[in-house]
Amino acid sequence: MLSPIQVLCSDITTLSLEPEPFASYTEADIISTVEFNHTGELLATGDKGGRVVIFQREPESKSEPFSQGEYNVYSTFQSHEPEFDYLKSLEIEEKINKIRWLPQQNAAHFLLSTNDKTIKLWKVSERDKRPEGYNLKDEEGRIKDISTVTSLQVPVLKPMDLMVEVSPRRVFANAHTYHINSISVNSDYETYMSADDLRINLWHLDITDRSFNIVDIKPANMEDLTEVITAAEFHPLHCNLFVYSSSKGTLRLCDMREAALCDKHSKLFEEPEDPSARSFFSEIISSVSDVKFSHSGRYLLTRDYLTAKVWDLNMESKPLETYQVHDYLRSKLCSLYENDCIFDKFECAWNGSDSVIMTGAYNNFFRMFDRNTKRDVTLEASRESSKPRAVLKPRRVCAAGGKRRKDDISVDSLDFTKKILHTAWHPNENIIAIAATNNLYIFQDKLNSEMH
Amino acid sequence: MLTASRQPVGSPSHREQTSMQTHCCPTLTGCAFDAQNLISISLRKIQSSRTQRGGIKLHKNLLVTYVLRNARQFYMSKNSLQTQRTPPYEDAAAVHRRQEYIELTGSFTELADDFYCNFTGTESDTWHCGAHQSSAQPSELAHQDASACAMASPSDSELMVSEACWSCTDKSSWELPILNAQANQKTVLDLDTHVVTTVTNGYFHSDCCAQPKQPQAGAQCYTRKRKMDTSYYIVDPEFYLPDFVPCKRMRSEDDDDDNDDDGDDLQSDSGQLDSANISNLISVLGSGGLSEFVSWQQMDLEQIFGTQTICLKHTLLAGSGWTRAIEAF
Repeated sequence: MLSPIQVLCSDITTLSLEPEPFASYTEADIISTVEFNHTGELLATGDKGGRVVIFQREPESKSEPFSQGEYNVYSTFQSHEPEFDYLKSLEIEEKINKIRWLPQQNAAHFLLSTNDKTIKLWKVSERDKRPEGYNLKDEEGRIKDISTVTSLQVPVLKPMDLMVEVSPRRVFANAHTYHINSISVNSDYETYMSADDLRINLWHLDITDRSFNIVDIKPANMEDLTEVITAAEFHPLHCNLFVYSSSKGTLRLCDMREAALCDKHSKLFEEPEDPSARSFFSEIISSVSDVKFSHSGRYLLTRDYLTAKVWDLNMESKPLETYQVHDYLRSKLCSLYENDCIFDKFECAWNGSDSVIMTGAYNNFFRMFDRNTKRDVTLEASRESSKPRAVLKPRRVCAAGGKRRKDDISVDSLDFTKKILHTAWHPNENIIAIAATNNLYIFQDKLNSEMH
Repeated sequence: MLTASRQPVGSPSHREQTSMQTHCCPTLTGCAFDAQNLISISLRKIQSSRTQRGGIKLHKNLLVTYVLRNARQFYMSKNSLQTQRTPPYEDAAAVHRRQEYIELTGSFTELADDFYCNFTGTESDTWHCGAHQSSAQPSELAHQDASACAMASPSDSELMVSEACWSCTDKSSWELPILNAQANQKTVLDLDTHVVTTVTNGYFHSDCCAQPKQPQAGAQCYTRKRKMDTSYYIVDPEFYLPDFVPCKRMRSEDDDDDNDDDGDDLQSDSGQLDSANISNLISVLGSGGLSEFVSWQQMDLEQIFGTQTICLKHTLLAGSGWTRAIEAF
């Protein structure tokens, strides 16, 4: 059972506080990525308007026991702006596709944010002291008349109201012809990779004018194009290994020690297709939308349109586990194709101990699967059901015309405009962040706050 | 190291196609799709993707072409089975209609080219025919790319008609001189910010350039030199261009919502290739002959179009599907 500790709404929406069925919001407010940092203290969200909002967890205090562990807005900044490529006469969207935190090495925090074309490194630092007592300028900063200075003083640092400063430290541009879909920081803490539809580039965090192309699946003849790269991630422990997924449902594990260009994979993970399940949309629903290494580095979690799969790095022939996320949609693929929902890219997440996986669905539902007990639960992220400190009620989707219990929802009643594409799990605790269109929900399992 | 690979996806038999159709489209309220509808919907998606913000999404359009291919396979197999049942004296007409349909499929390739091809406006690349084995078995058809041209009739190999397939040549023909002398680097100058970025490849360009696709045995092959008037040029609505290509736009406006004159619409699309793609589709769809558009093209292009035009000008398959496609399109 999960109990929400706080229901947060993005402060940039024009949502009414009353639960209305059709609240208005601008498209720029739609959250497009969610990411905890390595300690879970900070949570970053990016939206379609190119903004990044960082939340910070309040330290637990005995004086206010109910506010312990709440996430509050820490900083907001504009990461990317819309651009226009004059050569190609194309507009470049400012939507933040991915945010990745760098491991913290000093007092400041660093994160990478990317849109379709440009990756930026941001430094987030706090300032809670300021120097006072200058000799040549007064408190307001005005230059003093030097004749009035009769004695010298040493400036001292005095405390001030906490100020969070965000500054762009690096801009990695002009290295991707196609749309960037993934970025991943290497465990060496020095390099990271960025992946677009056909290529993956390796960058050094300090060098912006040069990157190395490590995967290139663009065929010499574009007529031969059969698949694109959909996601990529570095191994959490081995700095030479990374994986990338394709639109054909395959995963390729590559070892950078083997060759400079890792077009030849070390391992290919692919599940044979069931010919009896073939449909017009087989290729679409088999396209992998997200891939995540487990924290241990032993397993891979992938998400395609209808399922989530756990793969063992030692077994390439088939996944270890397959979880049906919303198989009731299999008979609705035609209409989902027409309304473009079939192209939605759902993300997936591991919990800290790799025992539970989570992914989103429609109607603001999200699902969790316990790998050990094989139990699963469907929960809903909505204002109505998520009052602070309320307990989330499991939901159930029943087939149209089937037996229906109270509070069940029929497949035909699902709202396909409410989709949970982006979810994140705290690295150490049972705290999850769910992005539902323009709203961010944070839930915590109070009963089982520790991972196990 | 390859291990277990995906089972070859065989082209579905008729029974499977039927089951595919019903599996995909059970009797749900509001969902009465069939292959023809899927084709028209898919074409509409491709067309609308050209004008969406952020440029054409390669991934989505690739998936849409897969749906197109699957629907087309199903439609073809359904048609061919119907043809087999027709009396012998109708064979020629049915066969001819199938020929026309096969000609249609070239336009899918051209659509793909529209996404992926990239021309500098300089002197030509060679067109070559990407026609496939006339004796291709149904199971082999499934291996074709989504953008493969000329779907062979599964039942009548002798009527395989090859097409002029406009494809990109190897990169080297339009590789621009780069600032960096090393062949394995690409350097980009951002004209807005004056930032120089270098991407180093793990291979040399000369190694990766493939030879132009060889025509399959048994297929006719059209190879022509295409002369491009450098005052025209093609701007790929997709985002890939070689570096430093100062391509002019054919038109300043990308979109023209005026549907009264399809010709104008077509010409406002970027590139002769683009307009040819759409003109092929439109003429097939029966909104007028290709000639009115061809007349706007360069002379040599008319000659090249000629061969296809003859086929494309014929009336459509006696299928309501394409009529529906017109409505959707």
